[in-house]
Amino acid sequence: MSKSAVGRVVAGAGLLAAVAMLPWLSGTDPALAVLRARSADQDPTPEQLAAVREQVGLDQGPLAHLVRWLGGLSRGDAGVSWVSGEPVLPEVATAFAVSVTLMLGALVVTVAVAALVCARTLRQGAELRLREERAGTAAAFLAALPKFLLASLLATVFAVWLGWFPSSGWEGPASMVLPALALGVPSGAVIGGLLAQSLPAAFAEPWVRTWHACGFPPGYIARHGLRGAVAGVLPQLLPTIVGLVGGAVAVEKIFNIPGLGRLALDAAVARDLPPLQTATLVLVLLGVVAGLLVRAARRGMLGPALRDGALPALNPPALRPHRFTRWIGGFCALALLTLLVAGLSRDPLHVDTAARLAAPSIEHPLGTDSLGRDLLARLGHGALRTTALALGVTAVSVLIGLLLGMTGRVSAGLTEVASTLPAVLAGLLTTAVTGPSVWGAACAVCLVAWTPYAVQAAALFEQERATEHVRVSKSLGASPVHLMRRSLLPAVLPSVLRNAVLRLPTTVLVLASLGFLGLGEQPPAPEWGRLLSENQPYLELAPWTVLGPAGALVLLSVLAVSSTTGPASPGRRTLVAVLSGRRR
Amino acid sequence: MHQSRRPLTGLCALLTLTPLLTACFAASGTDTNAGSSSRLRVALARPPAQALSPLSNDATVLGKLSVAEGLTVLDANGSAAPALATSWVRKDATTWTFELRKATFHDGTAFTAESVVASLGHAAAAKVKPRVLSDVTLTAKAEDADTVTISTSPADPVLPMRLASHELGIFAAKAYGQDGTVTPVGTGTGAFKITKLTGKSSVTLDRFDGYWGGRAKSAGIDVTWIVDGSARANALRSGEVDIAEWIPASQAKLLNEDMRHEVSSVRTDSLLLNTGDGIFADPSLRAAARSALDSSAVVGPIFAGHADPAQGLFGPAVTWAGGLRVAVTGRADAASVADVKAKTQGRTVRLAAITNRAELPEVATVVQQQLEKAGFTVQQDIRETAQLEPDLLAGKYDALVFSRVTLLDTGDAVAYLASDFTSSGTYNIARLKDARVDQAIAAAAQESDTAQRQQKIMLAEAEILRTDAAVPLVHEKVVQGFSPRVEGVVLDPRERTLITTGTHLK
Repeated sequence: MSKSAVGRVVAGAGLLAAVAMLPWLSGTDPALAVLRARSADQDPTPEQLAAVREQVGLDQGPLAHLVRWLGGLSRGDAGVSWVSGEPVLPEVATAFAVSVTLMLGALVVTVAVAALVCARTLRQGAELRLREERAGTAAAFLAALPKFLLASLLATVFAVWLGWFPSSGWEGPASMVLPALALGVPSGAVIGGLLAQSLPAAFAEPWVRTWHACGFPPGYIARHGLRGAVAGVLPQLLPTIVGLVGGAVAVEKIFNIPGLGRLALDAAVARDLPPLQTATLVLVLLGVVAGLLVRAARRGMLGPALRDGALPALNPPALRPHRFTRWIGGFCALALLTLLVAGLSRDPLHVDTAARLAAPSIEHPLGTDSLGRDLLARLGHGALRTTALALGVTAVSVLIGLLLGMTGRVSAGLTEVASTLPAVLAGLLTTAVTGPSVWGAACAVCLVAWTPYAVQAAALFEQERATEHVRVSKSLGASPVHLMRRSLLPAVLPSVLRNAVLRLPTTVLVLASLGFLGLGEQPPAPEWGRLLSENQPYLELAPWTVLGPAGALVLLSVLAVSSTTGPASPGRRTLVAVLSGRRR
Repeated sequence: MHQSRRPLTGLCALLTLTPLLTACFAASGTDTNAGSSSRLRVALARPPAQALSPLSNDATVLGKLSVAEGLTVLDANGSAAPALATSWVRKDATTWTFELRKATFHDGTAFTAESVVASLGHAAAAKVKPRVLSDVTLTAKAEDADTVTISTSPADPVLPMRLASHELGIFAAKAYGQDGTVTPVGTGTGAFKITKLTGKSSVTLDRFDGYWGGRAKSAGIDVTWIVDGSARANALRSGEVDIAEWIPASQAKLLNEDMRHEVSSVRTDSLLLNTGDGIFADPSLRAAARSALDSSAVVGPIFAGHADPAQGLFGPAVTWAGGLRVAVTGRADAASVADVKAKTQGRTVRLAAITNRAELPEVATVVQQQLEKAGFTVQQDIRETAQLEPDLLAGKYDALVFSRVTLLDTGDAVAYLASDFTSSGTYNIARLKDARVDQAIAAAAQESDTAQRQQKIMLAEAEILRTDAAVPLVHEKVVQGFSPRVEGVVLDPRERTLITTGTHLK
C-alpha cells in the first residue's frame, strides 16, 4: 500500500514540477505568449513585454511561482490567470464539472456499445456454443472512426439537418447526447473488442459446463463469466474514459463545450501557468481517485480468489478463427495494396485550383481536396509513412506498458497520472526539449500512449500470478524468468496485442493532432491524420474528401485486427515468439 | 440475493449523479429569456481574453454590441464623427477641446467631463498600455461640466479618430477597480447594457432605456462565444442563433444565399520576405518570388471567392486607397529560373505560416508550388502563433504568409506602416531597412491634413512595394451570417460595429 502511495505522490509531484517549469523551459519568451493570448494584433514592443513580465512576475522564476501557488492552494486560492487576471479556481471547477458530466455521458455510451460488440460472444459462450474466435471486425471498424469526424457528422445530421439536438453549447441534458456519442462509440468499440477477446477463456472454465449441466439459465452463467473478463478490462476505463476529461479537446471545440480540455489547451498555448497548473493538479487527483476506484471494483469482482491464488488461468481455448476472418483480412490487404500502388504513381503535392473539391471520377478516383490535390495520390504516398510511424509508436508504447505493468504497484501512480494527461500537454513539454521536429511528435505520443497497455498488463499479470498453475510452478522451483516466459507473457500478450491493434487508428490521429505545435511531418506532406483534419471542414460540402482517408484508416484497423486473430495468426505468432523468446 | 442488490446500487448511483448533473448545467448559465422573440441571439467568434476589459482587445466586443462609446465614432469614410462629444476644435498642435453631450451611464450616474478625465486617465495609467496608446500619451483636463481639454505628446493629427477606439471608451466610476481592472458590466453608455457575463462562454445584454441616441429596437442580446467556425455556421443553420459572425470560407457555401453577407475587410494577406539575411536578402530573388506569385490562384480555391486579389497593401475596404494609388517604379529585375537555381545553390526557402487563421496554411501550400515553379526549393514551417512568433521576430525564416490588419485603432494607416516597415519598427518581421521607405513613412506621419496624409501614405506604400519586402496576395472579405429575419445588422469593414439601436428581428 505504502509503495503505491509513494509512487502516486512522486508521479504527481513530478508532473506538476514539469508543468511549473514549462514557461521557462521552452526557450521562447513567455511574456510574448501571454501578450498574444490577450491581443492578436498588438505589437510586442520591449516596453509592453517588460510590463507583462512585471505584471505576472515572470522575473521571479519558476520556484517562487510554485511556492506561491502551493501556498495559495492551502487557503483554497489557486491564483489568478496571467492572461485574464480572473481567479483560476472557479473557472477550473466549472470546466471540470462540465467535463466530468460529459465523461459520464460518454461512459454510458461506451458501456452500451461495448455490450453490443461482445453480445454475440457472450450469448454463445453462456450457451456453450462458442466454437470460433470472432475477429472483432465490427469493433475494429468502430474503433477506427475518428472522434472529431464523428462529432462533425453527428452535428451536421442530427442538429443541422434534423434539428433533434442542439448543435453546440452546454445548456441541458440534450446538449450532451451528440458529444457523448462521438466520444463513446470509438471507446466502446475498443472496450468491447477487448471483452470479446477475453470472454472465451472465461467460458472455457470447468464450472460453466457443470452449471450448464445443472440447468442454470444462460443469463446467470453469462453474468458470472463476465465478472472475470470485466475485471481484466475494467482498468482500460482509466485511459479510455477518464482520460477524456482533459483529452476531448476536438469534440469540445466542435460542440462548443466549455470543458477542461479546451481550458488546459488554451492555458498551455498561452503559457498561462496558474490555470494550467490547477487543471493539471485536478487531472492528477482525478486519475488517482479513478485508479483507486477501479482497483477496488476489480477486487470486488475477483473476490478472495485473487488473494488466495485460486484464479483460473487466462489462457483462452484454441478456437479456430471465424471463417470470414481470412477473407476480410485478405480483402483489406488487397484494398490497401491497390491504394498504395495506384497512389504512388501519382503526384500528391500538385495543386490544381481548377479541380478544387472535384467529386470522384476516372481522372481522380477518390476525388480531390480543397486545393485540387488528388486524394488517391495523397493516401498512397502517406500510407507507408503513416503506418510505419504509428506501428513504431505503438510498439514502443506496448513495450513501455509491459515493462511498467510488470512492476505492478510501484508504477501504478505513474500510470494513473499519465493516463489523464492530455497528449497536447505532453506535446508542449516535448517541444520545450526537442523544438519542432519530426520525431518530437513520436516522443510526445509515446509519453502518454503507453498507459492503456500498462494498466492492462498490470491487471492481467496480477490475475495470472494468482492462478493455481503459477503457484504450482513456483512451488516446483520455476525461476522468475521461466515463469515470465512460459506462463505470464503468453497469457498476457494476446490481450495486449489486441488492445494495441484496436488503438492503432487513434495513434495515427493523435500523432497528427500535434502538428500545430510544429511536431511531426510539416505540410504539405500527406499524412493520413492530417488528411482527415485538413478536410474535416469539407465534410458536408465534399464528403469524399474525408471518406477516402477515413476508409483507409478503417481498412488498416480491420486488417490489423484480423491478422492478429487466432493463436495461429501471423501477427500473434510472431509477437509471442519474439517477446517470449521461444523458438518457432 | 445477488438479484436484489443490483437495482439498489444502480438507484443509489443515479440518485448521487442527479444533483451533480443539474449543478453542472446550471453552472454554465442557461438563459430563460432566450425564447423571447424580440431578443437577438448572437454567436461571436473570439471569447473575451480579459473579462471584456476595455483596456484589452476585448474592447472590440463592446463596440460590436453597442455597450461602450468613446468621444467620437468613425463614419463610413473613416473620419471622426460625434459620439459622446458633439464637437471639437484643435487649439494648437498638441491641444484639443471637446464639447460633450448629456448622457447617462448604465448605472444611472451622469456622464460629465470628470468621467472623461477619469477614463482616459485610467487608460493612460494602465500597466500594459492599450494598443491605441502605443505611440502617444494623452492628458485630459475638465474645463467645465461639458468641456474637456486633451493634450497629446507628441502632436497627434489623428486624435479625433484615435478617440473613436473602444479602448478609450468612457465608463462610470464604479467600473474601475483598485487593482487596475476595468469592468464594462453595467458601466457603459451605449444602447445595450451588460447584465451578466459568464466566463468565456456567454454574455447577456438588455436594452438601455436611458440611451441618449434613442431606445434600441431589440429588447436585448444573448451572446454566445463559439470559437469553431463550423460550429458557428451550424448554430446559425439550425436556427439556434440569429447572427453569427465570421463564417469561414469553407462553410459559407453551406449557408443559404440570403444568410451570408460579404463585407470587405481591412485585413490584407501578404507574403513577407526576410530582407535582412538569407535567400531573400538578394533583391533580384525577391523580385523573382514576387513575379512568380499569382494571387488569383489563392482567391478562388482557398477563400472560395470571399477575397479580392491584392492591389497593394491597402484593399477596397480602405475606401480612399484605390483612387490615390501610386504606380510602383524602380523595382529590381526578377532573376530567371536558372539564375534563381544558381543563386540559391540548393539552399531551401523556409516558408512559415500560422495555423490560427485556417486559410493561411493552405495559402502557404499554393505559394510553395508557385515559388517552386520559379526555381526555389521550399520547406514549410506551419505552427500556431505562440510557437512560431519568437522565431519570426528573431528572423529564423525566409518567407512568411501573414495576415495583418492595415488600419489599427486610429483608423489611420501610418501606425501599421511604421511598426511593420520602418527600420526602427517594432514588428518589422521583413527586417526592412530602407532609407527611402523610412522617409516616406515619416513624411506621412507628420502630415495633419487628411487628404495630404492619405496621399503620402500611398506614396509610402509604393516605396515599400518597390523593395519587394512584402508581396500582397489578397484582401480578405469577411462573411457575416444572419438569418433573413434580422434587419439592420451593420456590415463594418473595420469590424467595430455589428449591432446598433436599429438591429432587430422582423
